[in-house]
Amino acid sequence: MTRMAVLTLLAVLPAGGAAQRGEWPMPAKDYAATRYSDLSEITGANAGRLRPVWSFSTGVLGGHEGQPLVVENTMYVVTPYPNVLYAFDLTREGYPLKWKYRPSVDANALGIACCDAINRGAFYAEGKIVYNLLDGHTVAVAAATGQELWKTRIADLSQGETTPVAPLVVKHRVIVGASGGEFGIHGWLKGLDLETGRIVWTAYNVGPDSEVLAKPRIFKPFYDRGAELGLTSWPADVWKNGGAPVWGWMSYDPDLDLLYYGTGNPAPYNPEQRAGDNKWTASVLARRPEDGTLVWAYQFTPHDSWDYDAASEMILADLVVGGRPRKVLVHFDKNGFAYTMDRATGEVLVAQPFVDVNWAKRVDVATGRPVVDSTKLTGASRGNVKHVCPTLEGGKSPASPAAYSPRTGLFYLATNNMCMDYQATRATRIAGTPFIGANTPYHAGRGGYLGAFIAWDAGVGKKVWQTTEPFPVWSGAVVTAGDVAFYGTLDGWFKAADARTGKVLWRFKVGSGVVGNPITFTGADGKQYVAVYAGIGGDWFLLSGDVRSDDPADVRPPADFMPDIARHTSQGGIVWIFAL
Amino acid sequence: MDLRPLMLALVVSAACGGHDAAPAMGHEARVFAGGVIPPAGAPQVSGNPFRGDRQSAAQGERTFGVMNCDGCHGGGAVGWVGPSLRDGRWRYGGSDGEIFQSIYYGQPHGMPAYGGLLPPGAIWKLVTYLQSLEPPANVPTQSWK
Repeated sequence: MTRMAVLTLLAVLPAGGAAQRGEWPMPAKDYAATRYSDLSEITGANAGRLRPVWSFSTGVLGGHEGQPLVVENTMYVVTPYPNVLYAFDLTREGYPLKWKYRPSVDANALGIACCDAINRGAFYAEGKIVYNLLDGHTVAVAAATGQELWKTRIADLSQGETTPVAPLVVKHRVIVGASGGEFGIHGWLKGLDLETGRIVWTAYNVGPDSEVLAKPRIFKPFYDRGAELGLTSWPADVWKNGGAPVWGWMSYDPDLDLLYYGTGNPAPYNPEQRAGDNKWTASVLARRPEDGTLVWAYQFTPHDSWDYDAASEMILADLVVGGRPRKVLVHFDKNGFAYTMDRATGEVLVAQPFVDVNWAKRVDVATGRPVVDSTKLTGASRGNVKHVCPTLEGGKSPASPAAYSPRTGLFYLATNNMCMDYQATRATRIAGTPFIGANTPYHAGRGGYLGAFIAWDAGVGKKVWQTTEPFPVWSGAVVTAGDVAFYGTLDGWFKAADARTGKVLWRFKVGSGVVGNPITFTGADGKQYVAVYAGIGGDWFLLSGDVRSDDPADVRPPADFMPDIARHTSQGGIVWIFAL
Repeated sequence: MDLRPLMLALVVSAACGGHDAAPAMGHEARVFAGGVIPPAGAPQVSGNPFRGDRQSAAQGERTFGVMNCDGCHGGGAVGWVGPSLRDGRWRYGGSDGEIFQSIYYGQPHGMPAYGGLLPPGAIWKLVTYLQSLEPPANVPTQSWK
């Protein structure tokens, strides 16, 4: 191996240093957020012989988003609230626990979290498992023993902040954010010291340059000019409760030393209370992980009027675009457009709809702005605006991250085929209570089905294949060097698909709807395994309350747009492992 | 070792410590709407003075929206991240006084206390609104064809 090759290899290793082939040390497997594994034992030819080899009940009902980690023959699982952390010994028969960690978590977080008490997972770095508790704390736990090493309060429940996001660890910095776009928070990103948990920097997503950490000559957005954009794109003081939460996924390019993340919606949902673009809500931001300095930013949905959070992952890939090799960032926004961007500058190279979109006619890549259909603009004075596509669940939910295969050059993702009516109302901010101001019922999109699993060519901006599903699809994806993609469905099927054709090769009914993200890893015996959580929840805790059976004092009718989901699934909390 | 003398001493010292009455509310910490703690000692709870009054129910419905109750319990109180308040079933009791107390003091798991922001009359009108919602016929069976 040449010295250059060694350096290149080191550059892609996680902060933990010693990630082995077949491990899964961070939420998206790698810093580029590809959710691609080079394991190839499972192929299109043999996937039909997959079988369950192990399962475990987490003891918790509720949305099991996120994914396990696998490091050094140990699998780590974080549950939804109360955020128990399990460590399974993969070297012993039956995978018994090595330890479990049961933190103290404030139960009031259950009423401050907008959309079920979910958690999006942990990060392994330097012998530590780092993750967020729902009530505004980050913890580091010794991977070997389960001992708590530090616990830092990062967020304020009384201001509507909760913390289901999975951290990213870069260069001894633990990067975290908070949810609360429905509670009028002042959204931020923080960098903690990995050794001590001390908060080293705080970068707000809206507000004055001094708080956004936008410095003259360093901050260069591709499409915007001028200073104080996080103030001048808002009415006076409104930005202070303007949302811009951080609840999705983060990625990192070690060559450019840039950390990428998306921000959520502006608050409230009624846009007439916040004239202007409302920067940097519904945006992608690129920062230096060491001190949080903002390098560039781009707003996908200026003056968002439809709750189109940009919290979805930013997948880093090297693609040919317009005949030229480019270092790009690919993002599937809630607003229905897939963006292929230059990740050094924030220039939009390709922006095409990946589902039916009618709020905008297209994205003008020269200006970076969507060409909005003014009849779909919402606001309290506009009454009930009918049939906006996609819904605020997103053309793709940020909760269900896509995967990218460098072998096929394609992106794989779960999508929703739904539209909404949007009736905005005036909202009043009362700390600790919701700050929303809209009623937004859904209906099925064109074709009548509610979701699909698709493959996308981000170099040209085209769908390559699609498998429709009767219900919205809300699981993440994983794709392998065996050219097999895995995803789960809301009605509780876990499926393997041919990555080149989309043909479903195998499926298994996992006991509850899947809203988590599958992973694949090498077991202690050298075989390839695939793991996924079953446990319907997240927004479906709110939208399909008839899948719940744990509270005799809360019995709800089915959702009108999805009357029979409870026929196929109910709440659960199961970790599954499959193999040949 | 016989612990009885020690136990007795603890009981006696506790009794002499001035804590002869149980605290008004023994509970987990609540969220306070707007950060305002309700005045100690809720008003003496008897029946709802507005029970069955349509105008009070309509005022309560407006308050349900203005105070962001619908953000958790859903428009029409059908249930969202918080429980349904129109299914005729109550986690913390459905009598006049019990509903009032839940709004005034809040409840565990994030139901904010509104007693610091809303005067008792406004809370009673909220109770009146919730009581005006016609619960569905209590058919516990959901079936499919």
